[in-house]
Amino acid sequence: MKISVPEKWDMEFDVVVIGWGSAGTAAAVTAHEQGAKVLILEKMPEGGGNSSICGGNIIVPKGKEFVEYLDTLSFKTTEREILEAFVEEALKNGEWIRQMGADVQVFQPLEVAYPTMIAGAGFPHVRGAENVVKYNIKGTPEEGKPSQRLWKFLSGLVAKRGIQVLTATPAQELIPNDRGEIVGVIAQRESKRISIKARRGIILTCGGYENDPWMKWDYLPVKPLYFLGTPGNTGDGIRMAQKIGADLWHMTRLACLIGFKAPEFEAAFWVAFLSEGFLFVDKYGRRFVNEAGIEIHEYYRELSHFDMEKMEYPRVPLWAVFDEQTKKRGPLSRGTAGYNRDLYTWSLDNSAEIAKGWIQQGITVSELASKISMEPKVLGETLDRYNHLCKAGKDEDFGRPREDLRALEAPFYAIQLWPSLINTQGGPRRDKESRVLDPDGKPIPRLYAAGELGSIWGFLYQGACNIGEALVFGRIAGKNAAAEKPWS
Amino acid sequence: MRIPMANTALAERKFIVNAAPDRVWRLIGKVIFSVLPGMESMEILDENNFRSLLRVKMMGFEWILKLRGEMVDISPPEAFSVRLLLEGLGGLVKADQKVALAMTPVENGKTSVVCRATVEDMGFLPRLLLLGEARRFARSTFGAIEKRLQELA
Repeated sequence: MKISVPEKWDMEFDVVVIGWGSAGTAAAVTAHEQGAKVLILEKMPEGGGNSSICGGNIIVPKGKEFVEYLDTLSFKTTEREILEAFVEEALKNGEWIRQMGADVQVFQPLEVAYPTMIAGAGFPHVRGAENVVKYNIKGTPEEGKPSQRLWKFLSGLVAKRGIQVLTATPAQELIPNDRGEIVGVIAQRESKRISIKARRGIILTCGGYENDPWMKWDYLPVKPLYFLGTPGNTGDGIRMAQKIGADLWHMTRLACLIGFKAPEFEAAFWVAFLSEGFLFVDKYGRRFVNEAGIEIHEYYRELSHFDMEKMEYPRVPLWAVFDEQTKKRGPLSRGTAGYNRDLYTWSLDNSAEIAKGWIQQGITVSELASKISMEPKVLGETLDRYNHLCKAGKDEDFGRPREDLRALEAPFYAIQLWPSLINTQGGPRRDKESRVLDPDGKPIPRLYAAGELGSIWGFLYQGACNIGEALVFGRIAGKNAAAEKPWS
Repeated sequence: MRIPMANTALAERKFIVNAAPDRVWRLIGKVIFSVLPGMESMEILDENNFRSLLRVKMMGFEWILKLRGEMVDISPPEAFSVRLLLEGLGGLVKADQKVALAMTPVENGKTSVVCRATVEDMGFLPRLLLLGEARRFARSTFGAIEKRLQELA
């Protein structure tokens, strides 16, 4: 049942932004710059969402040819005119950040980890890939990780302008009038429901559904599918938009890494290896992939293989097997990104996690296999074969490059890994003006969306584009919502 | 007592690799770390900074040095420099080194690689005791980098 327009409102603004991350900030600041009185509603105790715990990189393409690259990656799941609008505005991302008082630096790391955030395109063979350039907010490690610097900058823009923010205030329902315009929102403030009038428009920027088990089971049927990002993303914006008749898109798309899930932590730990001395095996101890060749955001594709005979996902969970040199090289979870980043410090040589039983250890392959409930013969054969390929310098089984091969030496270690979401991409369908569309493709009046909630990334995802897109369509949504004529 | 030293050369090595600069650039990070098996407990602070322990054999002993690395110049795929601050023996040994690698395309799709290590600041005692060892270590590391790059090219 649709809620009716209240006779008396508890609060009144020009533009109401629901969700306070990168997209919400860009939308709120832009609407404010246009003279609108803006309110941000955030359900969590603090803002930031995934923006404050991600890799922190922002796409600023080199040129308009970037459209060709994105068009190929989208597999026609996103209209070209939307991609063109994105690129047009994304070219200005760096300039916008500078205008807002921060500086940016090009992200160009040496590639030393598996998997790693690379400087350039995730799919370098695709036409237009040379246009991928990632930036982050300039600063030193002492000033925080790139995403911490990003959020410090963005939240500072809101504070500096005195834009009102209500945290711990989840939006619950959008309010349409009898003409179908979205004219307000019901939110929960402490134990009270409050009605907030939006004279010009409402912008949904409240993230995806990576922490909603039911939506995940419906759209991404691999269970369990853990999350690395904010627990606050539970699909609220999707349900609110559905209730007022929005169409949905890109619901089966996501960015997914590998993570270790400790029972005492809500989110998974992002895991990466700082040495080439590791391999992946399925739950039966068989190798199944070029471990160094998986694009960092696309683990779901590799791990969601379903075995029709056994009626199961044999790679969920998978095990990473590694040796002493890799164990000593550095922490398997580095704290670069993820919700657990500030909750737990992984030991530098992984010894604390061995002591906790998070990492299993075996002097021999048989000992390790028995600890991880695997058939010793199968795991032994897998390791023998892998070491043979490493010594030959050619991975004839899965094509892992020579530079990424190193034979493993006893003692051996293993960690159980799961597909773990950074974010989902689905949500209300929108157009190039950030307007939310109904199933007939018509804009729902006065309703906009930006960011992870119904992002434009419908097939393959290019790193740094989520934050880039959040800033782009946040600005577009903020500008257009503020330009609406007030309803009466 | 610390005596400032103006860019004392530790080692230099030039070689040609049978691969294009782009390929050499993509390999170089992994190659450097793979030829330093004594690099342990590495903490990547951000894409330009890391901390680690470096276990090395010098003068017949195994030394554990604290290492802080900062990428001070990255120009893919032509060059990068890393500043390395080394500390050991409870702070008695300190050294401020710079390692620079330059990749230049040459004929037939090959790449000329120049590796250069200099020490910018080193205490008196370490210089007296360790300069020779540091030179040997830098030379052997550059040799191992060349060998590994040649294998992979």
